[in-house]
Amino acid sequence: MPSTALALTPGLASFLKSLKTNPIDTSIDNLISCASKYLPQYFFEIATDTVARLLKRRQIRHSRSCATATAYLLLRVISACRTTDAAKLIERVQSVGRRLVAAQPREMVVGNIVRRVLGLIRDEAEDDRDAEFALSEASESQPQTPRVTDDPSVPHERDTLSLRHEASERSSSRPPVASSTTTPISMFSLLSHPEPEPSLPGSPVSVSPSGRVLSHGPNKDVRAEVLDGIGEIIDELGQVDDQIAAYALDHIHSNEIILTHTSSTTVQRFLLKAAAKRKFTVIHAESYPNNHEATHATVSGNSGGDEEILSTESFQKPLIALGITVILIPDSAVFALMSRVNKVILGTHSVLANGGLVAAAGTRVIARAAKVHQTPVVVVSGVYKLSPVYPFDFESLIEYGDASKVVGYDDGDLVDQIDVQNPLYDYVPAELVDLYITNLGGHAPSYLYRIVSDHYRKEDISF
Amino acid sequence: MGPKQKGGPKQKGNNVGEEVEETLQAVVCFPFSLPLSISRPAGWLWDGVKRTVANARKVLADTFETRFEPFTLDRPRCLLPLANTPLIEYTFEFLANAGVEEVFLYGGAHSDQLEKYINGSKWRGPSSPFKQLTFLKSTSTSVGDVMRDLDGKHVITGDFIAVSGDVISNMPIEGALAAHRARRQADKNAIMTMVLREAGRNHRTKSTSFSPVFVVDPTKDRCLHYEEIDHHSEQSSRLNIENDIILSHSELDIRQDLIDCNIDICTPDVLSLWSDSFDYQAPRTQFLFGVLKDYELNGKTIHTHIIKDQYAARVRNLKAYDAVSKDIIGRWAYPLCPDTNLLPGHTYELRKGNLYQEQGVTLARSCEVGRRVVIGQGTSIGDRTTVKNTVLGRNCKIGKNVSLDGAYIWDNVVIGDGTRVHRAIIADGVVVGNDCRVEPGALLSYGVKIANGMTISEGKRIAALPRGDGDAVATDVAAVGEGGVGYEFFHHEDEDESDDESDASSGLVYNMAKLSFSTESISTLSSEVSDIGFSRSESVGDSESEGEEDNFVHDAAVSLYDGLRERVSADVVQLELVSMRMTANASDHQVRRAIVSSFMKQIVQLMEGGKGAGEAVRDVFSKYREVVDRCMFDRDSDKKPDQVDLLLLIQQELAPQNRGDTVLLFTAKELYELELVEEEAYEQWWADERSSSTDEMKKVRGQTQQFVDWLANAEEEESSEEEESEEE
Repeated sequence: MPSTALALTPGLASFLKSLKTNPIDTSIDNLISCASKYLPQYFFEIATDTVARLLKRRQIRHSRSCATATAYLLLRVISACRTTDAAKLIERVQSVGRRLVAAQPREMVVGNIVRRVLGLIRDEAEDDRDAEFALSEASESQPQTPRVTDDPSVPHERDTLSLRHEASERSSSRPPVASSTTTPISMFSLLSHPEPEPSLPGSPVSVSPSGRVLSHGPNKDVRAEVLDGIGEIIDELGQVDDQIAAYALDHIHSNEIILTHTSSTTVQRFLLKAAAKRKFTVIHAESYPNNHEATHATVSGNSGGDEEILSTESFQKPLIALGITVILIPDSAVFALMSRVNKVILGTHSVLANGGLVAAAGTRVIARAAKVHQTPVVVVSGVYKLSPVYPFDFESLIEYGDASKVVGYDDGDLVDQIDVQNPLYDYVPAELVDLYITNLGGHAPSYLYRIVSDHYRKEDISF
Repeated sequence: MGPKQKGGPKQKGNNVGEEVEETLQAVVCFPFSLPLSISRPAGWLWDGVKRTVANARKVLADTFETRFEPFTLDRPRCLLPLANTPLIEYTFEFLANAGVEEVFLYGGAHSDQLEKYINGSKWRGPSSPFKQLTFLKSTSTSVGDVMRDLDGKHVITGDFIAVSGDVISNMPIEGALAAHRARRQADKNAIMTMVLREAGRNHRTKSTSFSPVFVVDPTKDRCLHYEEIDHHSEQSSRLNIENDIILSHSELDIRQDLIDCNIDICTPDVLSLWSDSFDYQAPRTQFLFGVLKDYELNGKTIHTHIIKDQYAARVRNLKAYDAVSKDIIGRWAYPLCPDTNLLPGHTYELRKGNLYQEQGVTLARSCEVGRRVVIGQGTSIGDRTTVKNTVLGRNCKIGKNVSLDGAYIWDNVVIGDGTRVHRAIIADGVVVGNDCRVEPGALLSYGVKIANGMTISEGKRIAALPRGDGDAVATDVAAVGEGGVGYEFFHHEDEDESDDESDASSGLVYNMAKLSFSTESISTLSSEVSDIGFSRSESVGDSESEGEEDNFVHDAAVSLYDGLRERVSADVVQLELVSMRMTANASDHQVRRAIVSSFMKQIVQLMEGGKGAGEAVRDVFSKYREVVDRCMFDRDSDKKPDQVDLLLLIQQELAPQNRGDTVLLFTAKELYELELVEEEAYEQWWADERSSSTDEMKKVRGQTQQFVDWLANAEEEESSEEEESEEE
């Protein structure tokens, strides 16, 4: 009974479920009225609105949930799109992306995923053109293939050869796609991430709403490739924590004292991996008032049924079950304890191109305290959180939340007399961070710009 | 769609196999204190099928109150902007968040505007979270009417949420809903759950003039007693709790600290209870109180769900408007904040110090924009102007050296140089000249123009548009200055009948004692009987001051008319009338008024249907002779005040009617023939000065002259009249 009641409020879980399990007409029936009355080509509008609304109302709020929702949405949008013209696809994805970003500009992963999908389409279009070029070299009589020269983003002055060269270089230097396919998938990750299955690469053909098979012409069908690519992104989102955790043993040593903050699942996975082999002590700051309940649950191991967090994590054993000493402290004690800490490991909300990060409120205090004590600060974050945004005005990146978490709304006198601010995030400047660990390995903050340029095409940085 | 195996043997319910889908419904009422509803059909509970789809319905109604006058003169209250977003948007957000899928809206005043707005809004679009958004038209004048109307329409199939159209809340409803369902499964008599927000003793969103007091059994969350304490009256500051309640419960909470936003989760039984009690109008003072009182009788229980966090408030008067605006700007209602941009096209961004600014705002270099400010697109602010605690709409022009503090300025307002506006509300399109002072509590309604150098003193309300009754009012130069437009608006205090909430409104905006936003509320709509078809605008000498009285007349007339139309037998009609009279403790005069108004309406109806006047009159009166007979008690006395009263009422009712004089003649004749009214009464009536007080009255009785003359000589000639009538 309680579980059904919870399903009442629309959220990521219900959205994904509806996308996954149902044919397109009814898939978001529970979120959207009369979708079935509209033709499939309008579907994406409806779905976009839905996701935008969920984002606005903060019914989807963890970075990964946002990223997953965006990826699934784009998967749908592209498969519902009847065109095979790359330029049109790009346009459509851009328009969807703009709406999503407008709905929640501070949720940068949404923009990141959109940029990556755009990059995918552009790559495929260019690969295609290369192939076509080669083909037309071989047989001059290839009449039916208009080249995608109307793609506004492709610089016309460059000759095709250099384009091809660039494209091949790019594809070889795009590790996320490569790594997600090449990383050996462990039994654990197979078991723990059953949800992306239905949309794994290969299945998009059957998922296609129009029921059309996606093979139109040998050269023209960018879509199938792009859908595969999005499938890989979704895969990556599912595996990212495990991939990051694989580096844990390089960074956590026996008998160290580690300080962490918030209930980030990435950090937990990282520590758990190390805990399998080594004994160390964890000091956990509770991140009151916005995340303390989740943190308490993480520490004690009885996480309540927060549906937003993918269900596998809630079955995760807490660190204490592996014999690790975990000390839960109030945020105010961070500085006092910092002198004894060997390493600070932080999760984050998003990472910016300059190496700074936007993370849960309280992170900056910890990072500063660590700096004072010369304690190394390690940030674990999936590459999908890495955003090409440069924080010229970092104030604007900070979201302010519900004031009643700080002062109860029932205290009428206080509510009337004072302004209460409850920032949800902190901006942590790059110089306070010593190392980033992503699913691609460890990087210095100053190196992040390079990863940014590997992942996003510069045409898409402001789409 | 999801698994749908309906356990065959477990299947209960009457409509076997038909109602598979669970629906969450909601009702939103606009101008009264509203109920809105969410529900899932009951089958869901019983057959244990797990459904992921929560369907919902809600009904919206408008709040039948005039607390926002003069702004509500030509706009429904739920479209008034709160932090530059219409109130209704917040309500819809709340419903969408709650997972409601079907919404029924009841509009009050200006429901056409509301309907138009909603049709153009995103809630009608393909991506609307509501499967169904139905605008129900009705003549409802109160929550009670809406509920009865809903019951009659049979649209509610399961549990539903009733809310008013001015609720602002970010709370998830599922906890309350789950608790409600669990209770209901255990006990069918648990018909309603009220969702209440805990708050301290003093709170800005609470009404200052009355406090609701809930007596709750905390072990079962059952509400045992409800009363409202009026802070203005000296007597009522005590509670009357029955002995039984205290004796039979080991634990009792008596709570005055709850914010009641009228969010109720109801089962369909609630509707039938409303229908059974035709005199209930208000959801709390009457319905809740009544059901709790009759617990012994019908065994229904009402429960409370008290939330300790999340935000919930109702914009019930201007004071609450001020408080809720502050809450939204202060992010207490997060994520319902200006920078969430609820409306498509809004581009608010949060800056430091709770400053929300849309794109395209022009700020002079030397102006000072302080904390807690919302500025809409296209607004420009001049040099050395200071703005704080203020909401500015779109396309406003604020001059130089202006001081704005605590002002609510809607769209397209022009404020001249050197003007000060403190804690006032300025509506769309107002022009305020240079060097004016708008003092706290002043309200400037749509289109008002204030000339240079004027001072609008505390609590003044200036309007420019004609008031509801259509009298154009000339510009009042004293109020707005030479060249201004507008007149000072006074509320018709005398029409006000203070019902439960009305004096809440005298909770003065900004606590300013001189303002009275008192309102005519729920039970006081002045035109009840006009629903029945006749205007009572000049009613019989005797007053229509008592709201309750009017309600009785209204309700009784409606019910009688229904009876007549369906040709129910006279005893049934009579029985119903008596029961209504007893319940409302109505006077004989009121009963007669109800009878006359319904009978006349039926006669007119029949005539329109093609019957002759004589036939129609005979038809109605002969069949229901008994009903009329039982409302007059002066047969044996010399003076016939009751019969005269009846005749007067008939005359009056017919006065504005087309062919009223003919009907009057036939009615007089019919009454005589049925021996309902005696000769003496006719004489007295004819002599009564009230029967010829106005031209209209004189005109309508013109034709009856012959009948009265004839009566005078009745003994001699009897048959002549008969013939004459046939000629007609």
